[in-house]
Amino acid sequence: MEYVFHFGDIWEARDELLDGTLLTLRLSAVSMVLSLIVAVIGAFARTSGPAWLRGIVAAYVELIRNTPFLVQLFMIFFGLPTLGVRLDANTGALIAMVLNGSAYTIEIVRAGIESIGHGQTEAALALGLSRLRIFRLIILPQALRVVVPPLGSQFILLMLNSSICSVISADELTAATQDIQARTFRPFEAFIVAAGIYLCLSLAFSGLFAAIERFAFGAPAEGRR
Amino acid sequence: MKRLFQILAAAVLLAGLSVLRPAEAQTIDEILSRGTINIGVLVDLPPYGILNAQQEPDGYDIEVAKLLGGYLGVKVNLVPLTSPNRIPFLLTNKVDLIVATFGITPERAKQVMFSIPYSAIENVVFAGKDKKIAGIQDLKGLRVGVPRGTVQDVILSKTLGSAVKLARFDDDPSTYQALLTGQVDAIAETGLTGDKFYDSHPEGGIERKFTLLQQPNGITMRKDQFNLHQWVNTFVYFTKNNGELNALYEKWFQKPLPNLPVF
Repeated sequence: MEYVFHFGDIWEARDELLDGTLLTLRLSAVSMVLSLIVAVIGAFARTSGPAWLRGIVAAYVELIRNTPFLVQLFMIFFGLPTLGVRLDANTGALIAMVLNGSAYTIEIVRAGIESIGHGQTEAALALGLSRLRIFRLIILPQALRVVVPPLGSQFILLMLNSSICSVISADELTAATQDIQARTFRPFEAFIVAAGIYLCLSLAFSGLFAAIERFAFGAPAEGRR
Repeated sequence: MKRLFQILAAAVLLAGLSVLRPAEAQTIDEILSRGTINIGVLVDLPPYGILNAQQEPDGYDIEVAKLLGGYLGVKVNLVPLTSPNRIPFLLTNKVDLIVATFGITPERAKQVMFSIPYSAIENVVFAGKDKKIAGIQDLKGLRVGVPRGTVQDVILSKTLGSAVKLARFDDDPSTYQALLTGQVDAIAETGLTGDKFYDSHPEGGIERKFTLLQQPNGITMRKDQFNLHQWVNTFVYFTKNNGELNALYEKWFQKPLPNLPVF
């Protein structure tokens, strides 16, 4: 049988696709910002905090990085209610994404911090600056500059990971696509369109990160990448 | 320039997908000469399809699939599916037919071909004992869980539209679990499966509210498999008449096969 492509049904469901895309975009953008904040705090704690705090952050990073995202998602959505914490699907998805994304970004930011020569910290200490001020004014700006490219690709992975959230009934792009294909029985058409949208989102995000790198940190230095 | 080239290459790759021809006809003769038949089944919908203690597919649908293979005289290769990927697996030729508690509807028949019914299922709304739900209109304003793309999903979204907040899950166990953990106020699901699940979790205080519909299920094929379709209909007709189908039904449901209208 020659398969005949019909994109008409998908076009009729464009509002649903748009809603899904917007939720994917919102989930990704919010979780990117939040996990960057968590990453900076976590990386500071992991490099300059007291031993017990370093231990906690390390345990968190290892726990999250060594368990599948799907399992974390189920734990939050189906596990937490038994402890009395009930989150709706979209909130649960967002929390899972921040929790998951942060573990990876902490390690990236930490690597950035450790790439800055220790001599700078010693010099600043000799000048009488506090640990926090050294981190905020000297280490962090340089570290962030180094980690923008790996952070960017981690954030795009985070965005693509949001597709898994359809299993807990969060209405993001993949969920919308699944609904459309289940209703119209046009799986190829629906998923081709979804793949196209994800591709556009990824390209847009990587363009945004490149722009941030260029304007916030100056032109990328040759040889650093 | 390099970036432009990359984007173009990706576009060409996507366009290439569209010239693939995923589904091709599968006749009785092809299956016989191959000596095996690939049958898609559900393994997460007891007692229709489960994984038994040996982690092998078992249940009413699976026994019907094996019976079918026995009459064909070929080896049966069971392929476990989830409810939303039943049609994609069939259309991409990964299975020859599916015996997966698939309700017969005109919308689905635009894409696939159904045999005459071989089983029936009761679609029931379940909710907590404290909820007053007697009919479909009482679901207004509630969060109702359904497996994505099922008959109950379509009925509820058509009848109630945006008055009901549907939470669509990718499989049946997640749907049952969502009600038990209070993530949704009610669910529309398979009656017998729900009875079993909620009887084993009495602390949830969940009961049947009303029956949404009685749904006859057909063995499902691609819409150009006329030759196979004719044989499958003959198989269902024959095993209904000689009592084999009824015996399987009594084994799994402890009651006789309901009256199944044919078309």
